[in-house]
Amino acid sequence: MSKEYIITICDGTGCIQKSNAAIRKALEQQLKDHNLTNDVRVNLSGCLGMCDKGPIVVINPGYTIYGNVTTNDIPEIVEEHIVKGKPLARLAIQEDHLYNRFFRIFGDAKFFGKQMRIALRNCGIIDPENIDDYLSLRGYEALAKVLTDMTPKQVIEEVKLSGLRGRGGAGFPTGVKWQVTARAGSPNSPRSTSDEKYVICNADEGDPGAFMDRSAIEGDPHTVLEGMIIGGYAIGAKQGIVYIRAEYPLAVRRLEKAISDAREHGLLGKNILGSDFSFDIDIRLGAGAFVCGEETALIRSIEGGRGMPRPRPPYPSVEGLFGKPTLINNVETWANIPVIILDSGKWFSTIGTERSKGTKVFALAGKVVNTGLIEVPMGTTLREIIYDIGGGIPDNKEFKAVQTGGPSGGCLPAKYLDTPVDYESLAKAGSIMGSGGMIVIDQDSCMVDIARYFLEFTQNESCGKCTPCREGTKRMLDILIKIAEGKGEMYDIENLERLGNMIKKASLCGLGQSAPNPVLSTILNFREEYEEHVKDKKCRAGVCKKLLTYEITDKCVGCDACKKACPVVAITGTTKAKHVIDQNKCIKCGACFSKCKFNAIIKK
Amino acid sequence: MAKPTDIIKKKRAEAVSRIIGKGYLSSKRVYVGMATCEIAAGSKEVMEVFKNAVTKGGLTDVYLSQKGCAGRCNLEPTVEVIEVGKNPVRYGRINPEKAQQIIDKHLKKGEVIKEWVID
Repeated sequence: MSKEYIITICDGTGCIQKSNAAIRKALEQQLKDHNLTNDVRVNLSGCLGMCDKGPIVVINPGYTIYGNVTTNDIPEIVEEHIVKGKPLARLAIQEDHLYNRFFRIFGDAKFFGKQMRIALRNCGIIDPENIDDYLSLRGYEALAKVLTDMTPKQVIEEVKLSGLRGRGGAGFPTGVKWQVTARAGSPNSPRSTSDEKYVICNADEGDPGAFMDRSAIEGDPHTVLEGMIIGGYAIGAKQGIVYIRAEYPLAVRRLEKAISDAREHGLLGKNILGSDFSFDIDIRLGAGAFVCGEETALIRSIEGGRGMPRPRPPYPSVEGLFGKPTLINNVETWANIPVIILDSGKWFSTIGTERSKGTKVFALAGKVVNTGLIEVPMGTTLREIIYDIGGGIPDNKEFKAVQTGGPSGGCLPAKYLDTPVDYESLAKAGSIMGSGGMIVIDQDSCMVDIARYFLEFTQNESCGKCTPCREGTKRMLDILIKIAEGKGEMYDIENLERLGNMIKKASLCGLGQSAPNPVLSTILNFREEYEEHVKDKKCRAGVCKKLLTYEITDKCVGCDACKKACPVVAITGTTKAKHVIDQNKCIKCGACFSKCKFNAIIKK
Repeated sequence: MAKPTDIIKKKRAEAVSRIIGKGYLSSKRVYVGMATCEIAAGSKEVMEVFKNAVTKGGLTDVYLSQKGCAGRCNLEPTVEVIEVGKNPVRYGRINPEKAQQIIDKHLKKGEVIKEWVID
């Protein structure tokens, strides 16, 4: 046997219950007996989504899937498939599902094996600029199915059945939103008189460090378009708009190409695929204001106004773009739709937790070995994401916190590592799901500084329409800076909490309602760090510059390197004698610290 | 009149034959990551090396394609070599020199360069 085989055993919850551990043991024993341990690699994967046929064993190359495997089948599988090289027809199952397309290329790598990809199923495996690649992987088949066999009502029922919730962060049930928009504008609806409706894709991704939407559009633009066309059919709209920021030129270009290719193939425009349904999609570029990710501000921006939110209700589903009923969903939400139609809403609802179905895409960043874009089933724990997929913290440093939801989210300390990722659990722990930013923080970061960083961002991006957000965040930031500079008083911490809760309750839109979260969650979980800054005038991570002192110890050999490096001439001492830093002159730039070859300078 | 499902079936068959016409059934397929992040890490130059090899360098029986981001941010640019009947090989942190070596060793002689493989 010259081939190298990789055997993957599904390690999802469903298969675990069906004794996959015994299968693994039997498999390893068989490989040992056949003296094959060097030629065959055995892997565990995350849920492969075929729980009804579990336990599942996949053998590569060839991507042969075996279902309902028992320990008794293992000798036969090893003998026939591995030794003789003939896949075992008796147990092999044929699957042509849409999700997890990436698995056959990436599935055996640890980073990818624990993931399940629904929204990102084609990302990284197809040429995004070639519609043929998308078509060859059952692209636009969901649209064809909808146009042939399903009424708009049935489409909405399917989406409702799936349990899909908005992936932009708020988690509103998608099917319900579709239903409300579909009903709006009917003669019975009191508000809207017109039957004109719109579909919008929100691709105004603004969280610092988040790149889920960009990657999804750059990797597989057609799935977003297909989802939108299906949405248009379901609610009775003729026009769709993708609102995407101008800072994403490549994503915009690929989207433009995808739209024109789809038009050429009769997948957009008049009488789509020969049916009597007509629908077209245009692109609107956003100028990069964070607040335009909020739906009413986004709509205002498309209308040509200044991107500012307005009070809801009426919700966009009833009165949206140009006053017409408008269905607005996030990129990731749209990308899920073709899978729900083809692999069925019922299947989709088996993935995830009781109230959060399907998967979620995260941009994993910060102090983690494998930074990257990941998609995991809802209910995966933070620990699994950070340690199994992310590979843990680099340089053996200690995990301190994980920040989810970007500037609208919160920081969770180590005690929450086993929190499953779903809308409710994250909210209960004091953070939010958000659109998918996930930043890992280690011991070198100061929580006061992290809070200040995020608040500075939201404060800057506040549109200024409502006072709590405009003035409140500014005052909170002032207090935070005061604390970081060592001028804080104990009442400042209470004031931050009081002000934060007030802003949350009184702000007009999601930006203000969530802006205090990074501050409130760090006070809740890392109060002692705030108190240290206030009482002891100390920053344990050594980040807050004003609280730092650099000192020269007895290790100093008097080489003069630090003296030459100091830009403000704060260091004195004769050559070959111990030097001294004048604390009144020192600006804490750290130049001496990085220049010293003898570790004689310490940060305090 | 043809149903949308029939039309899409026909479209898919046509798409598949167009892809095959471009050489999809070559014994090796090479995918180069070309998302914004990959390009920033230098994948355009890597793509050039492969393109040149195919158009001028006499590299035959290879299907070359770009792809979106698979998610390995810290290992970009990434390149995959997929060979029928073998396990896919994923390379990370590829630069033009490494790309040339992949062409010379892996694509021409079938030797996988293990130290650059992502697993």
